Amino acid sequence: MTASTTTAPHERRSPLMTALTVVGWTVLIVFAALEIFPFVFTVANSFKCLPAVQSYPRSIIPVPPFGAECQTETGAARSPGDVSGAVTFNPTLEGYEEIADANLPRWLYNTAIFAVAITIGRLIFDSLAGYALARLRFPGNRLVFYTILGTMMVPAIVLLIPRFIILKELSMLNTYQGLIVPLAVDAFGIFLMKQFFESIPNEIEEAAMVDGANRLTMFFRVVLPMATPALTALAIFSFQGAWNDFLMPLLILSGDSDLWTLTLGLSFLRGAYGETLRWHAFLAGSVLTTLPLALIFFYFQRYFVEGVSYSGLKG
Amino acid sequence: MAQPQVLARPKVTTMAAKRRQEALTGYMFMAPALVIFLVFLIIPIGAAVYLSFTDWNGITPVFDEGAYQQVGLDNYRDLLLGEHTEDDGRVVKATTRQRDFFISLKNTTYYVLGVVPTQTLLALILAVIVNQRWLKAKGFFRTAFYFPSITSSVVISIIFMWMFTRGGLINTTIGAVFSGYDSGSFVNWLDDPRGVIHIILEQFGVTRANVGDWASNRSLGLTTWEWLSGPSVTMLTIMILNTWTTIGTMMVIFLAALQNIPSSVYEAAAIDGANAWRIFRQITVPLLRPTTFFVVTLGLIGCFQVFDQIYVISSGGPAKTTLTVAYMVYQNGFNRSAMGLAAATAIILFVIIFAFTLLQRLFVSERANV
Amino acid sequence: MRKLSVLTLVVVLALVVSAAGAALARQNVEITLMGWSSSTEENDALLAQVAAFEAANPGISVNVQLVPEYDTTIQAAFASGDSPNVFYVDSSKLPDWAEAGVLASGEGMIENLDDHYESLLEAFTYDGTLYCPPKDFSIMALQYNKDMFDAAGLDYPTPDWTWDDLRAAAEALTGENEAGQKVLGLVTPPNFERWLPFLYQAGGSVLSEDWTEVTLDSDEAREALEFYIGMVNDGIAGPPSMVDAGWGGEAFAQGRVALAMEGNWVISYLVEQFPDLNWGVTELPRHPAGGQASMVFTVCYSVASDNDYPDESWQLANFLTGPEGSQLVAEEGFGVIPPAISAADTWLEAIGPEIGEGFLAGAEYAHKWQFPVGFQDVFDTFNADLQLAFEGQYLAEDVIIDTIGVAEEVLAR
Repeated sequence: MTASTTTAPHERRSPLMTALTVVGWTVLIVFAALEIFPFVFTVANSFKCLPAVQSYPRSIIPVPPFGAECQTETGAARSPGDVSGAVTFNPTLEGYEEIADANLPRWLYNTAIFAVAITIGRLIFDSLAGYALARLRFPGNRLVFYTILGTMMVPAIVLLIPRFIILKELSMLNTYQGLIVPLAVDAFGIFLMKQFFESIPNEIEEAAMVDGANRLTMFFRVVLPMATPALTALAIFSFQGAWNDFLMPLLILSGDSDLWTLTLGLSFLRGAYGETLRWHAFLAGSVLTTLPLALIFFYFQRYFVEGVSYSGLKG
Repeated sequence: MAQPQVLARPKVTTMAAKRRQEALTGYMFMAPALVIFLVFLIIPIGAAVYLSFTDWNGITPVFDEGAYQQVGLDNYRDLLLGEHTEDDGRVVKATTRQRDFFISLKNTTYYVLGVVPTQTLLALILAVIVNQRWLKAKGFFRTAFYFPSITSSVVISIIFMWMFTRGGLINTTIGAVFSGYDSGSFVNWLDDPRGVIHIILEQFGVTRANVGDWASNRSLGLTTWEWLSGPSVTMLTIMILNTWTTIGTMMVIFLAALQNIPSSVYEAAAIDGANAWRIFRQITVPLLRPTTFFVVTLGLIGCFQVFDQIYVISSGGPAKTTLTVAYMVYQNGFNRSAMGLAAATAIILFVIIFAFTLLQRLFVSERANV
Repeated sequence: MRKLSVLTLVVVLALVVSAAGAALARQNVEITLMGWSSSTEENDALLAQVAAFEAANPGISVNVQLVPEYDTTIQAAFASGDSPNVFYVDSSKLPDWAEAGVLASGEGMIENLDDHYESLLEAFTYDGTLYCPPKDFSIMALQYNKDMFDAAGLDYPTPDWTWDDLRAAAEALTGENEAGQKVLGLVTPPNFERWLPFLYQAGGSVLSEDWTEVTLDSDEAREALEFYIGMVNDGIAGPPSMVDAGWGGEAFAQGRVALAMEGNWVISYLVEQFPDLNWGVTELPRHPAGGQASMVFTVCYSVASDNDYPDESWQLANFLTGPEGSQLVAEEGFGVIPPAISAADTWLEAIGPEIGEGFLAGAEYAHKWQFPVGFQDVFDTFNADLQLAFEGQYLAEDVIIDTIGVAEEVLAR
């Protein structure tokens, strides 16, 4: 919040304020640690060879040296029980190599395409729809909103097969558009944008309307720029939702492994009975799947701060 | 000399035309969304409703002749009443289906009651704290809190499974801190069917044996004692997992809303001498009401449909204590050759969620002019 | 006249060309084979088999699709009417899919019938019709940790072991390991299929021969269940999670249990990831009165009933499960046993006769893992109740009554 510091008279820091601040910091740090520590261990273990993952998951410093000591002289893998606990910083890239061999680059490429396309689609269509529902009066406005809300309440599982059949009839299975088009709009995004637009005061738009602008231009030139925080949130949610989606790619793309996304590829690493055997590869894949998203979020989250300030409206 | 009459610009548009224009614009704006929804959401939902009145097994090609029969409300009767009557008068019992349904309903309700308030409250508090002017390293904290939401639920579930195995990360770490907690007394997070409330009651000496006969009354397939079990230890683990994951998303939403509150409001309050707690209670919270409604609605909708984590971690076990309604839909549709029944279960779930959301909306609207 | 003959020539030529084109086009058939992914090596072996088939059958090309979440994916394919030509079918799924009509009948289409094990063909016969040729199979057997047995001074298990021997050994081998962790004698997963051998060994059964009656209400069933639960209640056996493992094989591999009852799928797991483990295999113990039983878990290559290319599909299925296809896989020595009897020796040699025999011997008396449509409800109830029985909250009697109730309800549907 970019407010100028008010010159409040004699703002003494009472002991209560200090205590609250300390408590606040502690809470924050504890929570932050709780939220991150699984990832710290995931990253650490992704750099270990498989027996080390199984026997020493808690060590953050990767244990056995690269390659050689994870295997016996004959080249066979060591048993977890055999792995010594010596703490030497010698990470191994076995997990990453294995998953790269398993076609990870291709999965990464596909997932990126889907995520970007779906996000762009949602940014445009969701905000158009959200704006229409918030501002424009047309017959059926409320009905449409409640229907959209209602669609979120049906468990997606039961829609799997009907959707599959529809996509098959439209010949959209195993294609890029088959995954992008159904997901280019989502109820959550529309809901989000509608709530947001409803909270913006009407004055700006009314001013623009009087000046003779038509709705569409006004939408793109005036309203949308005002919605940067919500759009940023929507973009982040959409990108990440598309990046991590499992059910839809499973349904639509399983027939063509060249189109697979990261989530599909990772689930492939699980054994036939659902058990995860290649932990180090799986963890490596998880790291590679999460990293791009983390970087994107970290880069874009500052827009929450530099969002629109409404003080310009007064006066 | 008469003033030149300034003729008002002839009104090209009448009120009615204006409204028509607005409506048209409305439809235009909505068009892409409506089309996609219609094809990929409305029609499949319609199909699901239709199928809930059939006995389709989910396998025989649905467009084939004789792939399924119409059975009217039989699926619903099975789930809610535990039996249905065939055309020839034969009563077919379905106590298992009814019992499983109400077990799943019980589990899901405990789940919702536990997770929704917790995640909303924590997200709100964290958002407010992170939003404070005096906080350094905002970016870091925001990213840290949002991190779990970034990962795929499948991936995070598998990682949690790995962490929470009996001899895994969590237990050994706690054991390192609390000396009394060792390998013999480790909690079996992922495989313990005991209800949490039962465990607490046991601490006070109250068990099934001595609580009284009323506890053994059966209703809808479960004894009263079983209804009062609370979530099982494993279910609690999954609840923790989900709260941990979704706090970040809710926090981001609250943050976006907090940005909309002009700082002038806070400044005015500060000048008036209000302290941080009063500002929070009487300014922030009321201004965030629509957002809170949004967050709670999302929470309800999401929690009632919890599926991914159950699928990856527990498959409804142990002892059906993590069987949720959404998972039951999957089970019936894909493992039991009973897609019609699955559709009926989904519709019932939909009705429940819808009712809860309406209730919540009424509640919220009563206290604010939303 | 000349114009007419030219015209005729052109027409004839066109006809010939198009006929040849049609013939050639018909030759280039593409069929789809769908299955799930096993280990990388097994996937590669499958692709090699398919390549060998294509080489021997020019004009047929096979599109192999190995998918995650096989059951969900293939069900969607069935439901939409777009089934793959050839696909895996687990014997437990056979009744469901046969009833749904998506499987083509294998009567008269399966070759080399006498090179297939009787019990496997039985497993893929439903309602009197044989549907598909078996692809591979696994038999449940008893694995034992040789080091732990040596340390306790006990003799290794033999095929003559009875329940009493099992119990005594489990008792002697329960204790703690060097790290102070609990070690159990035997790992007993709370699963119906793990307990069934005990039921059959006692001479009991779940259903009548024709699957119309529930026969679980018997002394044999109670005896078998009380034995299983009793070991857990006495602290000498337990589910995998009790020893910090995800499944029985893992518990055994980590040395947290001395005895496990897994099938030959555990061979690859142990050999690759725990090569230093000193272990042996023998048949499951008998009932004190002598009854022997085990379970066979098997998958087949089924041909779709709604199929554009049934002949080519059967050719593929027969090749992959015939002597030639089986030999190719047997040489690799994977954990699963190839279907052809003629390939058994090759497999034994590749996997090591000592280990392999222990599993293979059970093939003669193994029961199929297959129950009527909708029986999943029965398994779920049984498994849930069994877990509660392990905790001491249910008695064997309760479990049986509950299971019978559900079974009867399922049959009545």
